[in-house]
Amino acid sequence: MLYRTAGQFKTSYQADQALFPVRQDAVLLAVILAFAYVIFPLTASEFTFQTLLIPILIYSLAALGLNILTGFAGQLSLGTAAFMGVGAYACYKMITLMPWMNPILAILFSGVFSAGVGVAFGIPSLRIKGFYLAIATLAAQFFLVWLFEKWAWLYNYNASGAIQVPNLDIFGVYVAGPLASSITQYYVVLGIVTLLTLLCINLTRGNLGRTWKATRDMDIAAELIGINLMKSKLTAFAVSSYVVGVAGALFVFMWRGAAEPNLFDIPLSFQILFIAIIGGLGSVMGNYLGAILIVGLPVVLNLVPETLGIPIKSATVEHLNIMIVGSLIVFFLIVEPHGLAQLWRLIREKLIIWPFPH
Amino acid sequence: MKNFAKLAAAAVVASITAGAALAEGLYTPNLAYRTGPFAATGIPLMNGQKDYIEMLNARDGGVGGVKIEFEECETGYSTQKGVECYEKTKGEAIVTQPWSTGITLQVLPKTNVDMIPILAPGYGFSPMMDGKTFQWAFNVPSGYWDGASMILQYLQGQGDLKGKKIAFLHLDHPYGKEPLPLLEANADTMGYELLPIPVGLKEMQNQSAQWLQIRRARPDYVVMWGWGAMNAGAITEAVKTKYPMENMIGVWWSGHDADLRLVGDKGKGYKSISWSFPELESQAMADIKKHVVDTGKTLSNEEEMQGVFYGRGVVMSMILAEGIKVAQDKYGVAEVNAEQLRWGLENLNITEERLAELGMSGMVAPFSTSCSNHTGHSGGWMLEWDGTKFVKVSDHLSPDTSGYADLAATKAAEYAEANAPWPVNDSCGG
Repeated sequence: MLYRTAGQFKTSYQADQALFPVRQDAVLLAVILAFAYVIFPLTASEFTFQTLLIPILIYSLAALGLNILTGFAGQLSLGTAAFMGVGAYACYKMITLMPWMNPILAILFSGVFSAGVGVAFGIPSLRIKGFYLAIATLAAQFFLVWLFEKWAWLYNYNASGAIQVPNLDIFGVYVAGPLASSITQYYVVLGIVTLLTLLCINLTRGNLGRTWKATRDMDIAAELIGINLMKSKLTAFAVSSYVVGVAGALFVFMWRGAAEPNLFDIPLSFQILFIAIIGGLGSVMGNYLGAILIVGLPVVLNLVPETLGIPIKSATVEHLNIMIVGSLIVFFLIVEPHGLAQLWRLIREKLIIWPFPH
Repeated sequence: MKNFAKLAAAAVVASITAGAALAEGLYTPNLAYRTGPFAATGIPLMNGQKDYIEMLNARDGGVGGVKIEFEECETGYSTQKGVECYEKTKGEAIVTQPWSTGITLQVLPKTNVDMIPILAPGYGFSPMMDGKTFQWAFNVPSGYWDGASMILQYLQGQGDLKGKKIAFLHLDHPYGKEPLPLLEANADTMGYELLPIPVGLKEMQNQSAQWLQIRRARPDYVVMWGWGAMNAGAITEAVKTKYPMENMIGVWWSGHDADLRLVGDKGKGYKSISWSFPELESQAMADIKKHVVDTGKTLSNEEEMQGVFYGRGVVMSMILAEGIKVAQDKYGVAEVNAEQLRWGLENLNITEERLAELGMSGMVAPFSTSCSNHTGHSGGWMLEWDGTKFVKVSDHLSPDTSGYADLAATKAAEYAEANAPWPVNDSCGG
């Protein structure tokens, strides 16, 4: 009914290959973007910005970066948080060494450093795959976090060993640091996330994305048809680490405001891996759905008892929260092992042929 | 449709009353952690804090006739949850009690903008003692540098430190690194050799590598800055390696009864510097028992209430309540706001007489704050584990603040510069 595609004729190859061949998809996206760009900023409170909108976007971006590597190119990585850390520390060093630098450019540029580190730690992927590669990336995780702790130059010899975001402005408007307003930070994050998402969608649809998918599905077959595996795997590591690094810089500069090395430890890597898996590996939209479930839902659940006026201790709420989110993860994975994105894909297909079941 | 209208009306009424309920009283949220890896050390402190406030509410109807709404927001010691709690509570809150160094670091730069005082009793960033720079932060009654200074003083009392070797076993985390600048600066003047031994967050429970190093280096003293599982790990490991317990000294967060009860008699002689002491016979504790425990409102138990940590939680809430009272007296209003409470915390004067009035003599040393001194430097006592409980083994020790006043001023200035534009209160004299 809503998703009826009858009457939408494609008269050129270009139209057939468009990003959204079905008009309703484009309309839906426009509505979502309108919400993100206009309606949320107009209505959201400080709390919503800081605990829902900004973190969900940043986590989605980090998961998107991981998804390129794991979902599209098939290389399992457990080092996401460490690569985020590289982005964050690179951005911090650039900002403190060159205070005149435009913060947004610094954030975008910090991904280059994490891309370099990512490629270096991606080299083992040429020889090993699957769980063995996961162990190799785990080494990156341990090594980099250790480096963030021990290399005092990285945090400017700060006694506490933590990095702290200074007040940064662009043309007099604070975009980072304690003086920045949430709405500015939200727009910066949203802009960068939109830009990188668009880039990733197009990359994964293009030549590079197809080589990645071929590598993922069967690397020997891919090699036989002439795909350079080294190039394919290392570009996947580079692009993925770039996106993850930018997400890391956003994570510290646009949201947390301060970071200690152990913030970038394994729990964060796992959290992002869960977002990617529950959202759906090999999908772009899935990352957003996964982040809403893993990052947003606990926050909302925490508010429920208070809003309903149920007198319950906050520690109990926390326990309940963990139980509910945990069981929801299990539930969604049983209902649809390929993640929330696949769930949406099925719903959409059903809607298109509705009311006829076949 | 009729039903719908009724429902809508009910919802409106409910939301109005809910809003009103929040606005009433003094809202002092506590970013507690009763879950997660640090819960074991958190729960007794949170219980002490909560029980004292509940006792005030039950006995005196709050402070100055206004009930204190002491709500806990669970963080699980996670910085992310902490910031979520801060954002959730900051609208109505008159104070923030961040409870972890990570959360304190995050919240500290925001306080100048949000204008909510941070009350961080005995933790947080040591240079916070500089009230000119950190106008909204209070780490009363003692900071980590005070603690390190008192420990050094105590050790000097045991004999000259010249040529001695001190191992500094600490959590490799902003918290554990806090006293390092002071210990390093004193190493030259006092002539001891400092051997910093970091314990990573992942190695807290298995410190065999660190203790091997200690066994090899044979330090004369081990000074410990540990938290959570690290304390129990270090103490059991020390017992295993037969390190002389009387030469091991912890900061106040490393003096948890439950950790030492694990080793019992073998832990005899272990020391911990502390700015609080649980006076079980005091009037305040008796009132808590009468108004909170006997009415079944407490979450604590008999054993926990005798511990150092529970008593410390009680002292923390006393400081908050006193801050509120001072602000009420000055401004003549019962429902003080965040700005007024800031003034109150800045003008605390907890004298021996006041402590006696509160029924808390001996639970904390007298101290006072001023606009340039946000710590108070109460000093404290050296406590020693006698096999079943902690006892005082020293007279009151006062930190030698002159030794690091310059250091604090430099660090505070560095902080202000890194966070420019940062308002500094130059109008305040002494």
